[in-house]
Amino acid sequence: MATISFDLVSPENLVFNDNVGSIIVPGKDGDIGVLPGHSKVMSSLRPGRVMVYSEDNNLVKSFFVSAGFVEINPEKCILLAESVNEMNDLDKTTIENEIRNLESENSDSVNYKLYVARKKIEALESTFYKKFT
Amino acid sequence: MPSLKDIKTQINSVGSTKKITSAMKMVAASKLRRSQEKAEAARPYSSRLEEMLSSLASSAVSGEGIIKLLTGTGNDQNYIVVPVSADRGLCGGFNSSINRETFKLVKSLEGDGKKVQLIPVGKKSRDFFNRVMKDQILDTFVDLNVSSSGYESALNISNKLQELYFGGKFDKCILVFNKFKSAISQEVTEQQLIPLDVSNSENDEEKENSSNAIYDYEPDEETILKDLLPKNVSTQIFKVLLESDAGEQGARMAAMDNATRNAGEMIDSLTLKYNRTRQAFITKELIEIISGAESI
Repeated sequence: MATISFDLVSPENLVFNDNVGSIIVPGKDGDIGVLPGHSKVMSSLRPGRVMVYSEDNNLVKSFFVSAGFVEINPEKCILLAESVNEMNDLDKTTIENEIRNLESENSDSVNYKLYVARKKIEALESTFYKKFT
Repeated sequence: MPSLKDIKTQINSVGSTKKITSAMKMVAASKLRRSQEKAEAARPYSSRLEEMLSSLASSAVSGEGIIKLLTGTGNDQNYIVVPVSADRGLCGGFNSSINRETFKLVKSLEGDGKKVQLIPVGKKSRDFFNRVMKDQILDTFVDLNVSSSGYESALNISNKLQELYFGGKFDKCILVFNKFKSAISQEVTEQQLIPLDVSNSENDEEKENSSNAIYDYEPDEETILKDLLPKNVSTQIFKVLLESDAGEQGARMAAMDNATRNAGEMIDSLTLKYNRTRQAFITKELIEIISGAESI
């Protein structure tokens, strides 16, 4: 099976850069599965999980991105994320505390943070992508 | 003629200055490495964002709202100039060259009949423009600490600029900053931030144009562009802040290296002077003793 080069970039650094089997990214209009040779697509992202699979369809890494863009062409997939967390680093209780703190305030920026935090919980709880066949 | 004690005190004080400058040099050198790493780590994001944008830019038609960040307001009258300096001094010509170039730019724009306002970033340019063009300052950003607070600081500036832009307060925004070339050299650079300047990469654009036709956009070009443009502004600012931070450390390192060397030279020449004076005293005393002995 062929591989596709995948770059995950945040404003602060290059988070991931390797050749992988396939990737699932949370596109604005729905998740996009990217396999080698994918047609050219440019999409913005919603907060959600980015799943990276190796050539033999094992999950290599999964990330949470809050927003961003993805550019896909047959050889390469470039994901520009506003902020990136590795899924393993997310801790449910800390996020729930954060949500509780944020709920007491009310402004545009807080609402956005709240929205992202809730999406993080959602992503943590979802088991939807655990297996890839 | 200064007494021996005077010279001794002077040597001591120059010696302690030398100690301080050499310590500052070390600190700057280690900070430089960190800021340089940061600046390099941020490069992939901004360059890829630019690539995406330039392939999208060709599809943009003049429009209302956020697209204006790309197409401009259609006017060319009100300018905002953002000089990016350091918060602290003792880094050679780093801050003064920013202030000088900005001053020149403002004067030349005003000479063309434009209205110019300033948003200085960093204490040193704030203080300077507070002295010379106080009434033209719209806002200031100081104590940014870009190496620790990161992207947030850039977001603040970018939000402020966009708020002003969509409020119709200005037509063009120009950043003046020190571009980091190497550890010992920085280059004062002017960059047009708003509206976005895509014309500087003409060759790239042609290339992108040809490949552009086959891209699918999801949801659609305009929506992506609307997300992408504000992000690009903050990313550009972030990049500039990081470059300027790295440049500051480099400039300070070079300046402190010079100062340390000069202090060393000064100590050498003072020591020579001290020894000569001491010798002169001894000779004088000897002559006095000898002539005293002769007269008996």
